[in-house]
Amino acid sequence: MKRIPRMTAAALMLALLLSLAGCGSADGKTHLTFQIWDVAQRDGMQAMCDAYTAQHPDVEIEVQVTSWGEYWTKLEAAGESNTMPDIFWMHTDQILYYADFGILADLTDLYADEDPSYYQNHFSDISVGNASGTDGRVYGIPKDKDNVVLVYNMEMFDAAGVAYPDENWTWDDMMEASRKIYDATGKYGYMAYNDEQLGYWNFVYQNGGYILDPETNLHAGYTQSATADAIEYYVNIQKNDWCPNQNYFAETSPGTSFFSEMGCMFFEGSWNLLNELKNFPEMVGKWDIAPLPKCPNPASGDGYGTISNGLCYSTAAKGRNLEIVKDVLRFFGSEEGQRIQGESGAAIPAYLGQEESWSTVFNTFDYVIDVQVCYDQFDHAVQYINNASRRKWKSNAADEMVKVYAGSQDIQTGLANMQALADAYDTTN
Amino acid sequence: MNKNKLSAAARREENWGWIMVAPTIIGLAVLNLWPFVQTVYASFCEHLGFGHYRFAGLDNYVRMFQNAEFWKATWNTIFFCILTVPVGIILALFIAILLNAKVKFKGGFRTIFFLPLVCAPAAVAMVWRWIFNGEYGILNQVLGQEIQWITDPKTAVIAIAIVSVWSSVGYDAVLLLAGLQNIPKTLYEANSIDGAGKIRQFFTITLPMVSPTMFSVLIMRLMASMKVYDLIYMMADETNPALTDMQSLMYLFYRSSFVAGERGYGSAIVVWTVGLILLVTLIQFWGQKKWVTYDI
Amino acid sequence: MKTDSLRRSYAVNKFITYFFLILGALIMVFPFVWMILTSSKTVPESMQIPPTILPAQIMLDNFKDAIASLPFDRLYINTALMVFFRVICAIFFSSMAGYAFAKLKFRGKNLLFMVVLIQMSLPSQIFIIPQYQMVAKMGMANTIFALVFPGLVSAFGVFFLRQTYLSIPDEVGEAAFLDGCNQWQTFYKVMFPLTGTSVAALTIFTAVFAYGDLMWPLVVNSDLKMMTLSSGLSTLKGQFSTNFPVLMAGSLLAMLPMVVLYLIFQRQFVEGIAGTGGK
Repeated sequence: MKRIPRMTAAALMLALLLSLAGCGSADGKTHLTFQIWDVAQRDGMQAMCDAYTAQHPDVEIEVQVTSWGEYWTKLEAAGESNTMPDIFWMHTDQILYYADFGILADLTDLYADEDPSYYQNHFSDISVGNASGTDGRVYGIPKDKDNVVLVYNMEMFDAAGVAYPDENWTWDDMMEASRKIYDATGKYGYMAYNDEQLGYWNFVYQNGGYILDPETNLHAGYTQSATADAIEYYVNIQKNDWCPNQNYFAETSPGTSFFSEMGCMFFEGSWNLLNELKNFPEMVGKWDIAPLPKCPNPASGDGYGTISNGLCYSTAAKGRNLEIVKDVLRFFGSEEGQRIQGESGAAIPAYLGQEESWSTVFNTFDYVIDVQVCYDQFDHAVQYINNASRRKWKSNAADEMVKVYAGSQDIQTGLANMQALADAYDTTN
Repeated sequence: MNKNKLSAAARREENWGWIMVAPTIIGLAVLNLWPFVQTVYASFCEHLGFGHYRFAGLDNYVRMFQNAEFWKATWNTIFFCILTVPVGIILALFIAILLNAKVKFKGGFRTIFFLPLVCAPAAVAMVWRWIFNGEYGILNQVLGQEIQWITDPKTAVIAIAIVSVWSSVGYDAVLLLAGLQNIPKTLYEANSIDGAGKIRQFFTITLPMVSPTMFSVLIMRLMASMKVYDLIYMMADETNPALTDMQSLMYLFYRSSFVAGERGYGSAIVVWTVGLILLVTLIQFWGQKKWVTYDI
Repeated sequence: MKTDSLRRSYAVNKFITYFFLILGALIMVFPFVWMILTSSKTVPESMQIPPTILPAQIMLDNFKDAIASLPFDRLYINTALMVFFRVICAIFFSSMAGYAFAKLKFRGKNLLFMVVLIQMSLPSQIFIIPQYQMVAKMGMANTIFALVFPGLVSAFGVFFLRQTYLSIPDEVGEAAFLDGCNQWQTFYKVMFPLTGTSVAALTIFTAVFAYGDLMWPLVVNSDLKMMTLSSGLSTLKGQFSTNFPVLMAGSLLAMLPMVVLYLIFQRQFVEGIAGTGGK
């Protein structure tokens, strides 16, 4: 009988001790939490934090990585209960939701003392756009910018005697190269899988179509002929025997396939290139990147286009340490802060003029891939597509595409359905 | 006799009863019931964002009952239960009996059958996903087929069911073995002397004596199967063409509430699922009078 | 004559028993073997048709990658602590409640038991956000306590142990009562010890369920160092997507301590289940 109370007491003590292990120490410093989702960029973020705390020793910043799958569930729950991390990454897909509900701190006047047009002077319109709410105010410090590039396997091109892709390549060149390489080596050609940012959005804008109209960004354009043609073209790529079908891609991503030397080309986001160099050391020297092939006969425009996204740093409007956090954010958006990020190879800094600091890391590899391609493509970049109502219909729209790829509905019906979904939420803006 | 007044002893018993169930009941109420009440409320609302709801009456339910995807998910869940519960329990009982018998290397066999228990389910799902892979999965190689196990609507649910049974048959057998071990050997001996055969003994002694444990296992397995989600989450990709043909009700809930942010609609799905589970459970509890024997 | 046919049926029984046991064992073991083999392969090797059974050379790089990506030592500790506390709570609270529901008379018993049943029917995903907010408001996010939180009470434990107590004859309790025990002593000194087998089974069930909890640790704890093995492993999928060899290597590392512990203690483990049996 005596054993239980003693055991219970011991257990409770242990529990208390362990739970306290999570508490901060009482050392007079301000402890900030900085939440991100990409473990590959942790070192880069930590480097920026260290540079700040070196000049402000009374602040400590801890970088925490939450995996992508749970990041938003958690952030939203934290937003509801006002327990958000002090600093966190914000994504274009979500920023409107958070900003419009007043969760994020308004950062428009962060640099007002220094330079009232700070953002416009140092960041591209796309970057500022990706960090703004529907009301046009700035809710995040632009962090980086990226775009979509073509990754190709030089060995396979050599084996088939095909010239490497260059800035003059068109869709036809890519199809032809795929055919030749497949015939010569049996390896897959351009691996076109069911994806928006790394897939058909690029084709749509290259053809002069649009997902959301360029003037007001309110109306979807799935049934516009330029858009519909481009998407149909993209979906039909899988009909070629040199491209696997979607069943294959559901189990093996194009990236895995490429780096297992099963295929010779795919579209990749610039943010993943460093990872791939690190994760697949035996492949270094066998691949390089090129600009996206352009549309040969666009319905309008010059045929060029690549989707460009950018993350930003945000903080909660009702955060406890708001003033100190704002100071940290000022640093993150400064030239020095952005340069540190670039040099760590984390991502291409959004700060105009600092982009090339990103090359530093790539130069350390035996084979230096042509990162200039990434910088040049910003001239043709299209801002990542989003508006306030998109989050309500985007997963249903994605389902329609899944059905199209599964063959259970044809493309025209699928596009009509997607248009209807978007239109249903159009008026409730 | 005054039925309203309890004797002192009865009151003491009652007090002890309340005290002993209190921690659990309070815990369940706070941790689980309250969130469920919130969910039920949310099912009658539209989620505007960040926990702000707007009352919307039966809109979610109307939409749900008219949605073909929802009915497919309901059927998928039921089909999954049919595949996993009877098969799983019969297999588990069979294994428990085998493990209870006089065989050499009994310890070794038990170790092996219990092995899936100590594996991280995430790992289990990953290996099986690999084994079932349509292009280079080992299963297809061995069978000489090109079956797209996870991406073909016809086979997707079966594949998930196989993994589920594989993972859980070990510990269902654990529980049943405990039940079998509790049967006094004297019952069998007395019966043998009377000249009864092994099969007869199974039905007259083993089955009734192990039925309480079997009932526990049945309820547990049934509820778990109706709530299946983790397994589908780990094995299927968002772009899997067979997604709507294999998603369970809880997976549909996850996509509605967490991916699409439609918490009101998602809550309605939850309420429906819980209703189904309660219905099925109540049927089982009523049915237990027919086949479960306590305290022989 | 009779002994001959008896011996034959005995032999047939034995054969059938062994056959199924071996077949079952192979099916149970096969995925592990495959896991081990794949973890040593390179990515192209793992995707070959027809599949390579044995790797060309043992690739330890996959393990290095996995170790570099996950703080395994912390994951082991966190998982062990979480499982330990959840098991203690489950046994302690559920035994009491299970006994009370089975053997004691009190008003509202059936209604309260409905509460237990209802909880068991509820899918755990609906608890995630409310429980997260409770923990966050307490300031306890990112701790071991947070990991244990959902498992502080166990409805299934109550249900399962109630079944067990129901099958203990009332006479046992009555005898203890006559001997002068009050309700608590009857429970603690007499009834509880009789449930050894079931408590052991409940321990396993609680441990397995806690071990496999994927979403909760990912949501409530924000740092990889505070993850459990299962949830930590699933984050590997985010980083390495379909790089199966590394995923398999990570899985093996995640399972290793449990398997080793299990193999060392399997006698006690299994015997604990098989137990002394009998009443």
